[in-house]
Amino acid sequence: MKLKELRILSLVLCVLAIALAMGVAAYAQAPAAAAAAAAPAATAPPPAADAQLAAAAAKAPTTADLAKGDPGGTITGTINDVPAADSTKGVTLPDVANQVGQNKIAANFIWTLVTGYLVMFMQAGFAMVEAGLCRVKNANHTYMMNFMVYACGLFSYWLIGFAIQQGGSAGNGNLGGLQSLSVEHTTTILGKTWGLFGGTGFFLSGHTYDVGVMVLFLFEMVFMDTALTIVTGACAERWKFLAFCVSSSLMGALTYPLYANWAWGGGWLSQLGTNNQLGKGYCDFAGSGVVHAVGGITALAVTMIIGPRIGKFNRDGSSNSIIGHDVSAVLIGCFILAFGWFGFNPGSTLGASANGNLRIGTIAVDTMLAGCTGTFGALLYMWIKTGKCDYSMSGNGLLAGLVAITAPSGFVSTVGACIIGLVAGVLVCLSCAFIEKVMKVDDPVGAVSVHGTCGLWGVLSVGLLADGTSNYGGSWNGVTGSVTGLFYGDPSQLVAQLVGISTLIGFVFTFSFLMNLALEYLVGQRVSVETEIAGLDIPEMGQLGYPEFVFKPEPDVLLQAEKQYAVA
Amino acid sequence: MAANKSQGSYYSLFLVASTVLCAGIFLWSGGMGKLLFVVGAAGLIGSLLGMLSIKSLEGKTAVKSSPLAMKLMGAGCSALGWIITLVGMHLTPSIVGRGILALVGIGVSLFGIIVVLPAAFNKNAVWKS
Repeated sequence: MKLKELRILSLVLCVLAIALAMGVAAYAQAPAAAAAAAAPAATAPPPAADAQLAAAAAKAPTTADLAKGDPGGTITGTINDVPAADSTKGVTLPDVANQVGQNKIAANFIWTLVTGYLVMFMQAGFAMVEAGLCRVKNANHTYMMNFMVYACGLFSYWLIGFAIQQGGSAGNGNLGGLQSLSVEHTTTILGKTWGLFGGTGFFLSGHTYDVGVMVLFLFEMVFMDTALTIVTGACAERWKFLAFCVSSSLMGALTYPLYANWAWGGGWLSQLGTNNQLGKGYCDFAGSGVVHAVGGITALAVTMIIGPRIGKFNRDGSSNSIIGHDVSAVLIGCFILAFGWFGFNPGSTLGASANGNLRIGTIAVDTMLAGCTGTFGALLYMWIKTGKCDYSMSGNGLLAGLVAITAPSGFVSTVGACIIGLVAGVLVCLSCAFIEKVMKVDDPVGAVSVHGTCGLWGVLSVGLLADGTSNYGGSWNGVTGSVTGLFYGDPSQLVAQLVGISTLIGFVFTFSFLMNLALEYLVGQRVSVETEIAGLDIPEMGQLGYPEFVFKPEPDVLLQAEKQYAVA
Repeated sequence: MAANKSQGSYYSLFLVASTVLCAGIFLWSGGMGKLLFVVGAAGLIGSLLGMLSIKSLEGKTAVKSSPLAMKLMGAGCSALGWIITLVGMHLTPSIVGRGILALVGIGVSLFGIIVVLPAAFNKNAVWKS
């Protein structure tokens, strides 16, 4: 190697050595520099929130970053997605706070709407259960009643029912306050004010043309429709379609909304706690009383007026079993209903965010368990009593457990839910037998027992088994604390529930009975003997449910009864 | 008689009249509201009278007439039980007292529903003949 080359190589090595030394020195000094920079920050006030937001905005992914795709989901949803009120200033703290509030309301809107959609789907379950438990010659008519009750109820609820029920229910923070629902007509008794019915929300117009009100309307409407469809089952196979349409319209406009206002819309039952020191007032979390008992009790009233089907009872008062035509429809319908109940009960929080709404998990599990033990209760009762596993009573046991847990689902433990469901499963069997054999009332699907009797049991069970652990924003019905039943130390809650039960069987029954009795005289509730014998499909609907089926002759006992009517 | 055109017409009138009636309530504070209310009420009554006029065409049903007084007595019993419960809330501040009166009210209502009304409807029940 030449001398010149050696010099150049030495120079390069020196430069590299110097650069390496400077790098090491810089690396060694970096922590010290960072510490030196951090030291004054520890004593100085933290940067302003807006400055932090500006820094966050600076670090946020750019459009070019996002254009490359985000398979891991790590850069989607940043400060850039928060709308700024003033684009020249960028995102400020008030902007972020507003977005947090809107996110809470949005989560609650989505929750309430989706659970409402689930409840709406229960109409399909009801249709299948009721039609499956009826004879094939009435299938079209029964399906059509379950189909049309949706329209009849919805329309009258939009006209006036919602206004009566929720017109004075302003103040629900989950859905944004609903301040436009501000008029509750009241009366004053002994110096205390009691709510009677609401006064805003007709046609969802005026100030109630509001996003939160719309969400509430959808959710409450599908509940109302559930109550209405209960009646169609009890009155199946002989209810004149015109009378059914008028009766359902009136129930959706008046009967249901009145009781629902008293329990849920700020009415007098919900004020029993604040006015009369009865627990937290009447508590019905998702509607064992408001929805199911109202439906079941109205069904009893209408069924009494319409009378039993031809051939149901013999001259000596004994009853005949008139079996349904489709086991699969019944049991699949029950499953659809059980699925829909996950909208019914957890959805009744009217939100998933804030105010203790995370209890939705407990509510959903309570719902499952009560349905499970209800099924066991009914199945085992029938198995032990008759030696057979009765499909219709097993299905009714599932529904009975679900109906019973509806009111207490927000307030009880899983053990409580199991007890409530089990009792309901046995109760529905006893009630069906009592209504048929003692009262001589013909209820083809057991709707009065499932929804009426077990609905009342559900209301009562709140006063017994509410465990005082729920906390929906610290109060219920305006009374501070958690709903607590007799077995957990608050006997006054049980009294509030008894007042609710008394109102159901004293007011709701009487109101429904007199209204439908008037319809009996004005419209006529029942089809003619000829129509009933032929089956309601052709005379009322003009089309058989199963036009290509060959009908099997009725059992002898029914044929004899029909011949007797035909001759007479 | 089965379902027919008249039934459909009268139910249509019932729905339209109900809508007009509710619009009247909604707009009650204005002069138009009261007018709509009267028109709607008249339409509603008209639709029910129309349904009454075609009721007899239905023909014989499998229900015999039962004593109206007894039916009203059953309904009255049911309502009386509710009133007992309501009055009981104001009679005594005692939780036990209110609870007992509520139970009495429930018992009276159930007597009307379970005993009186079935007796009324089953008195001339067709299945007995």
